[in-house]
Amino acid sequence: MEQIIFKNVVPQVFSQQSDLHSDIWNNELVLDRGHKYLIEAASGKGKSTFCSYILGFRRDYSGSILFDNTDTRTFGVSRWVDVRRSEVSLLFQELRLFPELTAMENVLVKNNLTHHKSRKQIEEWFEMMGIADKKNVIAGRMSFGQQQRVAMMRALVQPFSFILADEPISHLDDTNSRIMMDIMEQEAKAQGAAIIVTSIGKHVELDYERRIKL
Amino acid sequence: MNLIWKLLRQHISVPQLAGFSLANLFGMFIVLLGYQAYKDILPIFSGDNSILGNNYMVMSKRITTGSTLSGTANTFSQAEITDISEQRFAEKVGKFTATEYKVNARMGVNGVSILSSELFFESIPDNFVDVPLDSWQWKPGDTTIPIVLPRSYLTMYNFGFAQSHSMPKISDGLVGLIDLTLYIQANGANDVYKGKVIGFSNRLNSVLVPQAFMDWSNGHYAPGKQSQPSRLIMEVANTGDDRIIKYVDEMNYEVEDDKLNAEKSTYLLRMTVSAVMLVGLVISILSFYILMLSVYLLVQKNAEKLENLLLIGYTPARVALPYQLLTIGLNLAVLVIALVLLAVARNYYIGMITMLFPEVSEGSMMPAILLGVALLAFVSVINIAVICRKVTNIWKHKE
Repeated sequence: MEQIIFKNVVPQVFSQQSDLHSDIWNNELVLDRGHKYLIEAASGKGKSTFCSYILGFRRDYSGSILFDNTDTRTFGVSRWVDVRRSEVSLLFQELRLFPELTAMENVLVKNNLTHHKSRKQIEEWFEMMGIADKKNVIAGRMSFGQQQRVAMMRALVQPFSFILADEPISHLDDTNSRIMMDIMEQEAKAQGAAIIVTSIGKHVELDYERRIKL
Repeated sequence: MNLIWKLLRQHISVPQLAGFSLANLFGMFIVLLGYQAYKDILPIFSGDNSILGNNYMVMSKRITTGSTLSGTANTFSQAEITDISEQRFAEKVGKFTATEYKVNARMGVNGVSILSSELFFESIPDNFVDVPLDSWQWKPGDTTIPIVLPRSYLTMYNFGFAQSHSMPKISDGLVGLIDLTLYIQANGANDVYKGKVIGFSNRLNSVLVPQAFMDWSNGHYAPGKQSQPSRLIMEVANTGDDRIIKYVDEMNYEVEDDKLNAEKSTYLLRMTVSAVMLVGLVISILSFYILMLSVYLLVQKNAEKLENLLLIGYTPARVALPYQLLTIGLNLAVLVIALVLLAVARNYYIGMITMLFPEVSEGSMMPAILLGVALLAFVSVINIAVICRKVTNIWKHKE
């Protein structure tokens, strides 16, 4: 997939608001593969809503969202499954890890589906992100910052054209943030994919080509 | 699969599923037992094992208190017989001839004597007897007489005698085991004959011998005596013909029609089995409802996990699969246990049936197996569909 276009998209919750000053809502936004975007906004402006529209699990908007000129409203279940498996990867703000599974199992539950990375590669990431000793710890017992890194690894064990990171480093120190974002950048570069990061203020400096105000 | 199962088995309630399995086992067992028992018992009523053909009726005069007191004859006169044979429904009419002399018989099985009694023979014209003609022949000088016994004798022997004396039970194929010795003392003669049982009759409560023997023996042992027949046998085109009932009523005759009795019994059997199966079905449906509720609850409790799996790229079919396999597995286990229980129960009652009716073949459990598999398939299809729908709702964000 090469391009995502938002055309006059307005979430239903904002439909009564006439003073929407946004680069996305009720506007036209084109996101191209291979570029880096930063979406900045205060809380409640719809960052997670934006992510959920791209992943196809919410459809409560007017206007249209096009993937390579095809309206996503025409997508059926199997098309969305393809999108989620091999075109768009999302690091959820609320992480959506499985608290009953260990850190490693949380990554494997996705990798078993895509077979995208070797176990060795995943273990290397654990080392690099400084949580190698937590591999076999139940995710529910890890700190949020540690869980963020597990969620990032889970987002990376799939092929993608766009990777969205919804406030990825909110609970990480600068060093760990840097490491995590470097790994993400490296993976995106290898796949020629776009990076879209949302932030409420704290973010790691990447050489963003565009800063979008929500 | 393991990771998915590890996730989705959370919140599975073992007591709920055990409750479902027990209730369903109970219901399934009743349904299958009812159906299987019906299939096993039906041949007893509908078995076409008559010595007579199908469209025969035995007709006699009605015996009333009045006729007994007044001493009116219960026999048919020649005029009455002619009248009957002239009726349009009657295709063929024959007389029952009875012996005019005394016969003593000793019956044994496999050399053990079991019965010694005075009896009498009857005969009907040979063309009414539906046995191979070469085994139904007798000519003067023969010391062996072919005989057809009432089936009730066989039942009496199998159920009452063989059981308590540890003797072999006899089925139609084993009639050769019966030795029958007949002693006729009449007209100054003292003769011994051997009876050869060639079959059993459901409809005639008489010891039947060939007409040729009857005619010869009556002339030989009781010359000059001749009684009028008290029963007639009649072949009709259609046993359900209204005119028969009308004529019989009008003439104050009686018709033995055990076909009618068999139909009544079959009807009763069908009613009973339907009622029993209905109870089983209701239990099954209720238990199925419990299972569905349990699965609903499970999907509801795990909705968040299911949603997360869908969001990371799992298909709805893939995440529904563990629950579908779980329900199908439970249903299958219940079916297998129900069939095992049925086999045990059937083993018990089939023993009784073959004791009472040795002529009925044992059949097989195929009817119950087929019904069970059909029920399993039906229930499983509904289970699969319902779970699919639940997961699709989660996909659509409706849960």
